[in-house]
Amino acid sequence: MALSRTAHIVTAYGEELDQLADDLARMGGLVETQLEKAIAAVVRRDASVKPDIKAREAQVNALQVDVEKRVLRLFALRQPLATDLRMTISALKIATDLERVGDLAKNIAYRAGDLAGYAPVSLTQQVERLGAIVIKQLREVLDALSSADVEPAVRVWHSDDEVDERYNTLVREMLLSMTEDSGLVGPGVHILFVAKNLERIGDHATNIAEAVHFMVTASPLVEDGKS
Amino acid sequence: MSNKRDSEAPLIRIRRRDTAAVAALGSMVLILFWLFGELGLLETVVAIATIAALSTFYYLTVRTTLNPLPDPASRREHEASGPDSPANAKLMLDSLPIPVLLIGAGGRIEIANPAAREFLGLGPVTGHLSAVLRQPQVLEAVSAALRGQTVDPVEYSMMAPVESHVRAFVAPVASQGDPAQPWRAMLVLSDETSIKRADRMRADFLANASHELRTPLASLAGFIETLRGHAKDDPDARDRFLGIMFDQTERMQRLINDLLSLSRVEMDEHVLPGGTADMAAIIDDVVDVLRPQITEKSITLSVEADPATAMGDRDQLLEVVMNLVENAIKYSEPGATVTLQLSNDLTRDQAERPGLLLGEGASRLTLAAPSSDAGDRFVAVRIRDAGKGIERRNLPRLSERFYRVDGQKSGPREGTGLGLAIVKHIINRHRGGFTVESLPGAGSVFTVFLPVMKRMPKTSQTPRA
Repeated sequence: MALSRTAHIVTAYGEELDQLADDLARMGGLVETQLEKAIAAVVRRDASVKPDIKAREAQVNALQVDVEKRVLRLFALRQPLATDLRMTISALKIATDLERVGDLAKNIAYRAGDLAGYAPVSLTQQVERLGAIVIKQLREVLDALSSADVEPAVRVWHSDDEVDERYNTLVREMLLSMTEDSGLVGPGVHILFVAKNLERIGDHATNIAEAVHFMVTASPLVEDGKS
Repeated sequence: MSNKRDSEAPLIRIRRRDTAAVAALGSMVLILFWLFGELGLLETVVAIATIAALSTFYYLTVRTTLNPLPDPASRREHEASGPDSPANAKLMLDSLPIPVLLIGAGGRIEIANPAAREFLGLGPVTGHLSAVLRQPQVLEAVSAALRGQTVDPVEYSMMAPVESHVRAFVAPVASQGDPAQPWRAMLVLSDETSIKRADRMRADFLANASHELRTPLASLAGFIETLRGHAKDDPDARDRFLGIMFDQTERMQRLINDLLSLSRVEMDEHVLPGGTADMAAIIDDVVDVLRPQITEKSITLSVEADPATAMGDRDQLLEVVMNLVENAIKYSEPGATVTLQLSNDLTRDQAERPGLLLGEGASRLTLAAPSSDAGDRFVAVRIRDAGKGIERRNLPRLSERFYRVDGQKSGPREGTGLGLAIVKHIINRHRGGFTVESLPGAGSVFTVFLPVMKRMPKTSQTPRA
């Protein structure tokens, strides 16, 4: 993380901050692949990814514990100030968000197993498209975190509206086709849950964007006219 | 490590001898004190030991922090500057187009060659690998290599921002010097996106070709079955069916001919064509051959041809003009006008980018472009039809095999979907250009331009492979 690169007199301190950033990036990478795999599994109605996703989930949880430990250590031993303080606090928040994203991705992958029992539904294409946008959001915000750039983080924050819009359209269309064809209710419910989870992941991505913004600029990310 | 520092001139020269001399002098003074009885034996020994320890410490600190000179072994190696010198290795690494990274302890990037910096979007400051490459498989492989394990290559794909497939080779590298961190990891990335894409294109092509062949075959089989069955004794139906069957076999034949011709053109694509072709004569021939179709659709064909001779293979250029004029007739409404224009001695810009011929709102795209010098002159053939026109978003895909602008079906009268692909390949072989301009509702203009015959590059012909 660029922020922690400002030289510290005690090299071990800088090293610890670096390690924290490294942990977060690893977590991000894990969650990202988990999500990609989960969406692909839903599209292919492939239940075989379950064990893999489960193993990754355990890794993510372990990393979250690790991040928490590191943050505690930093507070106890180094009493971080200014940028370092914001970074440490943000790391704690981001780790929580990432862990939630991992959970949601796991849920999505589990739905793939349920969907495998039904005939293919044409609306999975829309789920795939929604998933692609959410993956892009997550990727951009993680890049912003790695490079400590505010501008892409703000962009992610703004484009969450797009995710919500697509989610709403999907729900509307799904409900419509479910009323027309009651055979669609079974898989439809699973698809709705997948879409809901994706929408939640989008929200977590905006949370991370806010944390990155705070970390870099020391001011919260707010905009007039948006609550 | 050492080659990185070689470029910087040493700031202060700390010599082992100087430090040793100072320490020896101090010790001598102490021994003198002892000899004259000023100091006890124990104090003297302790003081000497302290001086020795201090000077060693001083020497080591200064050496490593202030003025980190490369260790003598590598310096000797470098001074020899033989073919194996690290400087040469670094030069090679820098000009290598493949991303190569050396990862040190804790996953920190120690060396990244320019290709790697570009590939990963790495700034001049290097940090942890995880800051630029988050793929868990790669990070795990790197961690394993840092423990000295050999690891299998890892493949990873990214869907955002663009789809890409990368194979990562990770290998442990023994590091000299630091015994606490005996291993570093070398990471080589190879972008396999184009391979994957080519693979998929080939699969698509096979699927398309088989599909195109299956359709007429299925209808043939159907008619044969009917002829054997209840239409056995019905001469009227038999005649009609045989007619349809003939059309279908013709369609298959056309497709196979086109496929063969495409593969032939592709094989020769890198062999410059010899000979010259009289373009005006070619246009006359094409018009003669297509006369029946022109009268059938009562199309008015207007030809404006300057005398022009292009470099190239007459038969192939005939195929180009034939394909384009056939398309123009096929996609024009009955009774419309198709214009054929042959111009000689144009500059590249005149040939490729004349003013929009279809007026405001038309879009233009170059489907094939030669690499040309400023002075090159071109012969251009423009074929303007009065069809429905093509939307801008469909233009880039026009020369794809089996691509048909949406709504078009492949029927017995329709083309094979290979015509423009063949045109593009022939034009590529002739080092010419191929552009299309179109306005929905107004029609399209296809232009091919070819180098004018001037210097005969007979000597520069590449031998047939």
